[in-house]
Amino acid sequence: MVLRSRPTTGLTAPSRRGRPRLLALGAVSAALALTLAACGDGGRDTGDGGDGGSSTPGGAAPADSAPWTLGTTETVTAMDPAGSYDFGSWNMQYNIFEQLLTIPAGADEPVGDAAESCAYDDPQTITCTLREGLEFSNGNPLTSSDVLFSFERNLAINDPNGSSVLLGSISNGDPEAQALADGAIETPDDLTVVFNLNQPDTTFLKLLSTATTSIVDEDTFPADALQADDAVVGSGPYVLESYQPGEQAVLARNDSYTGERVGAAPQIFVTYFNDPAPLRTAISSQQIDIAWRTLSPTDLASLEEEGNVDVLRGEGSEFRYWVWQTGKGGPGKDVAVRQAAAQLIDRDAIAQNAYDGTVTPAYSIVPPGFGGQKDSFAETYGESPDVDAAAAILADAGIATPVPITLGYTPTHYGPNAVDEATEFAGQLNDSGLFEVELADAEWEEYQNLYKEGAYDLFILGWYPDILDADNYLTPFIRDGGFFANGYSNPEVNTLLDTELGETDTAARDGQIGQLQDIVATDVPLIPSWNGQNVAVATPQMSGVLETLDPTYIFRFWDITKSE
Amino acid sequence: MSTPAHRRRTGGRVRATARRAWRTEGLARWILLVGLVVTTVFVLFALFAPWIAPYGFDQNSSDGVRFPKTSGPGPGHLLGTNDQFYDIFSRVVWGARTAVLVVVLSVVLSAVIGVLLGLVSGYLGGWFDRITVFLMDALYSFPSLLLAIVFSFMLRERIGGSILAAALSLTAIYIPQYFRVVRNTTVAARQATYVEAAEALGARPITVMRRYLLPNVTSSVPVIGTLNAADALGTLAALGFLGLGIPPNEAADWGYDLSRALDDVAAGDLGPALWPGLAIILLVTALTLVGEGLSETLNPTLRRPRRTAVVLPARPEEAP
Amino acid sequence: MSPASGSLPRYIAVRLLLVLPMMWVLLTMVFLLLRVAPGDPVTAAVGDKLGPEELAARRAALGLDRPLVVQYLEYLGDVARFDFGATISDRRPVLDIIANQGGATLTLTLGAFLFACAIGIPLGRLAGRRRDSALDAGIRLVGVVSYAAPIFWVGIMLVGLVVAYVPGWPTFGIADSETLYYVPDRTGILLLDALLANDGVSLVDILQHHVLPCFTLGLLLSGVIIRLVRINVIRALDEDYVEAARARGIPERRVVRRHAFRNALVPVITVIGLQFALTLSGAILTERTFNWPGLGNELVTYVTARDYVAVQGLVTFFALAIVVVSVLVDILNALVDPRVRY
Repeated sequence: MVLRSRPTTGLTAPSRRGRPRLLALGAVSAALALTLAACGDGGRDTGDGGDGGSSTPGGAAPADSAPWTLGTTETVTAMDPAGSYDFGSWNMQYNIFEQLLTIPAGADEPVGDAAESCAYDDPQTITCTLREGLEFSNGNPLTSSDVLFSFERNLAINDPNGSSVLLGSISNGDPEAQALADGAIETPDDLTVVFNLNQPDTTFLKLLSTATTSIVDEDTFPADALQADDAVVGSGPYVLESYQPGEQAVLARNDSYTGERVGAAPQIFVTYFNDPAPLRTAISSQQIDIAWRTLSPTDLASLEEEGNVDVLRGEGSEFRYWVWQTGKGGPGKDVAVRQAAAQLIDRDAIAQNAYDGTVTPAYSIVPPGFGGQKDSFAETYGESPDVDAAAAILADAGIATPVPITLGYTPTHYGPNAVDEATEFAGQLNDSGLFEVELADAEWEEYQNLYKEGAYDLFILGWYPDILDADNYLTPFIRDGGFFANGYSNPEVNTLLDTELGETDTAARDGQIGQLQDIVATDVPLIPSWNGQNVAVATPQMSGVLETLDPTYIFRFWDITKSE
Repeated sequence: MSTPAHRRRTGGRVRATARRAWRTEGLARWILLVGLVVTTVFVLFALFAPWIAPYGFDQNSSDGVRFPKTSGPGPGHLLGTNDQFYDIFSRVVWGARTAVLVVVLSVVLSAVIGVLLGLVSGYLGGWFDRITVFLMDALYSFPSLLLAIVFSFMLRERIGGSILAAALSLTAIYIPQYFRVVRNTTVAARQATYVEAAEALGARPITVMRRYLLPNVTSSVPVIGTLNAADALGTLAALGFLGLGIPPNEAADWGYDLSRALDDVAAGDLGPALWPGLAIILLVTALTLVGEGLSETLNPTLRRPRRTAVVLPARPEEAP
Repeated sequence: MSPASGSLPRYIAVRLLLVLPMMWVLLTMVFLLLRVAPGDPVTAAVGDKLGPEELAARRAALGLDRPLVVQYLEYLGDVARFDFGATISDRRPVLDIIANQGGATLTLTLGAFLFACAIGIPLGRLAGRRRDSALDAGIRLVGVVSYAAPIFWVGIMLVGLVVAYVPGWPTFGIADSETLYYVPDRTGILLLDALLANDGVSLVDILQHHVLPCFTLGLLLSGVIIRLVRINVIRALDEDYVEAARARGIPERRVVRRHAFRNALVPVITVIGLQFALTLSGAILTERTFNWPGLGNELVTYVTARDYVAVQGLVTFFALAIVVVSVLVDILNALVDPRVRY
C-alpha cells in the first residue's frame, strides 16, 4: 500500500477513538482544527495557529510549548467528579473542571479559581463570589446554580467509588438517602454561593480546592447518575478531547478558559501504564516526556545515575505508619510496649535500606510544612534509636522481655518495598533483644480483615491526605480508634480535635495541633515511619515540572511547557 | 509370595522401562541423561540447601554486619547480593528447595487426583463419567495462568503458608490433563479380554481397577508429570512477576527474586536477575528433556526402529 | 459417500450445543472463585481511607451484601440477556472492553503465531530430517529453552537490547500517542483501522510496535512448534507412502518437501489450535511486560481490583474463545482428514 501522510483534518475524522467531543461544535474548534492539522503532519510544532487563545484577556499569557506526553501508572476511575476518589481521576478533573478555589504550585493556602474569593463569615459559614462571565467549554454559562447542582448531585449519587464522604459538613448525614442538607448551600444571585456548614469546620475552605468539588454543567450532567467518561464538560483549562480507558487520554487547551490556569501546551497526551517496568523504559528512552507516579526506588536511583533524564523531587504528603492494635488484649495494650517500639525504630535505616533514600523519615503523624506541625516523636524519643532507653521503659513497667509481637504487612498494595520495610523494622526490634517479632503478611484484601480482627499487634498502613490540613492527619487516625479501629480512645484527644476544628485563630489552632501531636507521641497509638516525596522524571526539554511537585499532588498540566 | 501381584507387575514395568530407556539408541538417551543429571543437581540443592548455601534464605547480615546492597560477585558472596541484601547464591540454592517442594507437591497431588478420577470415571461410565468429563473440559478451557492467579489469591489466606498455596493452585490446573489421558485409556482397556474375564469371574470393581486397569493406564503419567513439573515452574515464576510470589521472608522463590530484580536489569545490572532466571530456565529445560526423553523411549512409534533397507530399482522421476 | 459426511454436521451441532452448558459451568466457577477469594472491590479501592461503617455502606450500595444466591441468579439472568454488566471499579461496559481491547490481543497473538511459525516450522523440519544429528540436538535444545525462559524475563532483556542498540524503536504500547489519536475507530482492531484509513504512517508505526511483543510471545510458541513439526515429520517419514517414494529413488530432499512435510502439517495445525490456551496465558504476561492495551493486561488489573463483574466477563470471554477455537479445530480436522469420524 502507498504510504500516505496522516489525514489532515484532525477533528473531522469520522469517529475518532474515544469518540468526537462536543468541543467540535464550539466556535473555537476551527482554530483548534488548524492546530491539530499542523500536528498531523508529524511535526509537533508550537500549537497555536496564530489566532488561537495564545493571549487571553484577564489571564496569564501562555508560554509557548509543544504538545507533550505524560506517562503514569495511576488509573482513572471516572472522569465525573462525583464518581472518583483517586489521584488518576482527580488530576484529570483538575484540568477539565474549575473548582471554586485552587492551590497554586507551592502555595499553602487556596486562591480563587471559579470564585473570585471565598471567605469564612464565621466558622460555620463560607461565602464565595464567582468570577463574571464564566463559561463551560460547550458555551453554556457557569453560574451559582451550577455550583449548587454539582454539590447536590455529588452527595445524592453517593457513588461507591466517589468521594462524597468528604462533604460531611454539608450532608444531611442520612446513610439511606444521602443528600445535600436543607439550606446548606444558598445562591442569592448568579455570582454568590453561601455554604452553611452543620458544624464548625475550618478545613472546608480547603476542600473547595479539591477535585470532588469540581463544577459541572447542570445542562449536560445527569442529576442522579454519573456522566459517561467521554462526555464530561467542564470549564477548566483543558478539555478532554479523546479518552481510551487504560490506553490514553488526550487533552486540548480550552481557549474559552479565562482564569489564572491557562494551559501552556496546546495538547497533552496522557499514556496509562499498568506496570512500572515499561514506564521506566519509556521515560529513560524518552519515548514519553514525563513519568509521574510511580517508579520504584531502584528505578529512580538508576535513572538519576544515568543522567539522561531529570529525576525531580518535590515535597510530598504521602505518609506511611505502623499502627498498634491496642484493643484486642495483645501486647499493644501496654503503653510501655508501644513506647519501647517507638524508642527502637530506626527511621533512617528504613528510608535508606528499604527505599534507597527516596523517602524522608517521619517524626510526627503530621508531615512537615503543615501549620502546627512539630516533630513530637523526635522530641520524646530522640532521632536515633536507643536500646537502653527502651529497656528502661519496659523494665519500669515491669514487662518481661523479650515481648513477642506479630508484625503485619501487605506485600503488593504499598509496592514491592513494603516487605523490605517490614523486614528492616522487624530486624531492628529483634536486634534490640527486647522484642521477639514474627512477621506475617496477607494480600491487601484479607490484610484489612485481619488487622481489624486483631491478627497483628503492629501493622503498616499508608495515607494520602484529602486536603492539605494538619487535621487530615489527626481526626482520621486518633479519634476513637481511627478508621482502622485499633481500639485507641482518649477523651482529651477528642475534645482537642473538636476545639481545633472550630478554631479560626491560626496561632491558637497551631498550638492545639501541636498539643495533639505531643499526646500521640506519649500514647503511641501509631508510630510514624516516613513521608513520601512527590517525584517525577522528566526529559531536559520540560520545564515547570519541579514547581508543581508539592504536597497537594495536583499535577498542574497547565503550568508545564516543552521546548522544541 | 508376600508381594501382591499387581505391585510385582508395576515394579517389573518400571525396571523394564528403565532398561529400555538405557538401551535406546542415540539422542533420546542423551536427552534423558542430561535432563536427569541437571534435575538431580537441583534436587540435591533442594535436599541439602542448609549445607550447600553459605547463608540462610532470609539472612541479610552475618555476625551483626549487614551484607552490601546489590554488590557484584566477590569474596563472601559467590554471585553477589541483591537489593534486599540477600546473598544471591544462597537464594538460588534455597530457591531450588522451594521449587522442588512446590512442583513435587502439585504434580503428585494432581496426578493422584487426576488418575483416580479418570480411572473411576472411565470404568464406571454413564452419567458420572459424562459430568466429570464435562467439568474437566470446563476447567481445561480456563487459561491456566488465570486459574493460578485466582487460586493463589484465594488460597494464600485460607491456608496460610504461601508455598502450600502455590502448590495447590498449580494442582488445580493440571488435574484435567491426567484425567483426560487416564480416562481415555481406561475406556479402551475396559474392553480388553482379561478385564472382561476378571469381571465375569466376579471380581469387585475396585479390584478390577486396582489390579488390571491401573497398571495399564499409568504408563503415560510420568511423561505428563515431568512436562507439568516444567510448566508449574514457569507458572510459579509468572505468579512472582505479577506480584503474587512467595514473600522473601517465608522462602526463597526464584520468581519473586526475578521480578524484584527486573528494575536492576533496566538499570543495567544483570546479576540479580540473571541467576534466578538461569535457574528457572535450567530446571525447566531439564524437566522438559526428561519428559521428552521418556516419551520417546516409552512411545514405540517414536523409537527408531531397526530397518533393513529395501532397495528397489530406481525409476526416473515423473512430473506429477 | 463416506460416513463422515453424515455424522459431521451432527457432531458440530452437538459440540455447539455443549458450548452453552460449558459457559454456565464456567460462569458459576468464576463467580464462586471470586466470592470465596478474600476482599471485594470496595476494600480493594478505598480500604485505607474509610472506616468500617462507610465501607459497609459502599458494599451495600453495590449490592454486595445480599445473599450469594440472589447475586448469582441475578448475574445469570443478566448474562442470559447478553448483559455482562459494567465494571465496578471504572464503570466500563464489559462488552465495550472486549470490543475495544480484544483487537490488540488478537493482533498480538496472530503476530506471535506468524513469528512462531516462521521460526518453528523451518527449524522443526530441519531437525526432523536430520534426526539424531548434532543439528537436531541443537535445534531441540533451542526449542526447549525458548519455551523454558520466563516470557517477561525474555521481554525485558529484549527491551534492554533494543533500547541500547536501536534507539527510537518503540518498546511499549500498540502505537504512538498520535497514531492512537488520529486513526479513526471502525473495527476495534487498530491495525485494520489504519489499513482502512489508508494511513501509511500510522500503519508503519503500529507494525513497528508489534515487532517486539509478537517476537517475544512468538519465541515461546516456537518451542512448541519446533517440537510438533519435528515429531510429525519423523512420523511422516516413516509412513509407507514415503517409504515407497524413497524406494522409487526420489531424492531425500524432495521426499521430505513433497511428501513428508505436507502431511506433517495437518496434526500440527490441530495441536496449534489446542495451544490457544497457552497462547492466552503467554499473552497475559507479554501484554503486562510491554504495556500492551489488550484483554490480558486489563484482566490482571481487574483481578487486583477485585472487580467481580470485569473478571467474570473477561474470563468467560477467554474461555468461550478457547472453546470456540477447539470446536473449529475439530471441524477443520474432520474436513481435512476424512478418516476422522465421530
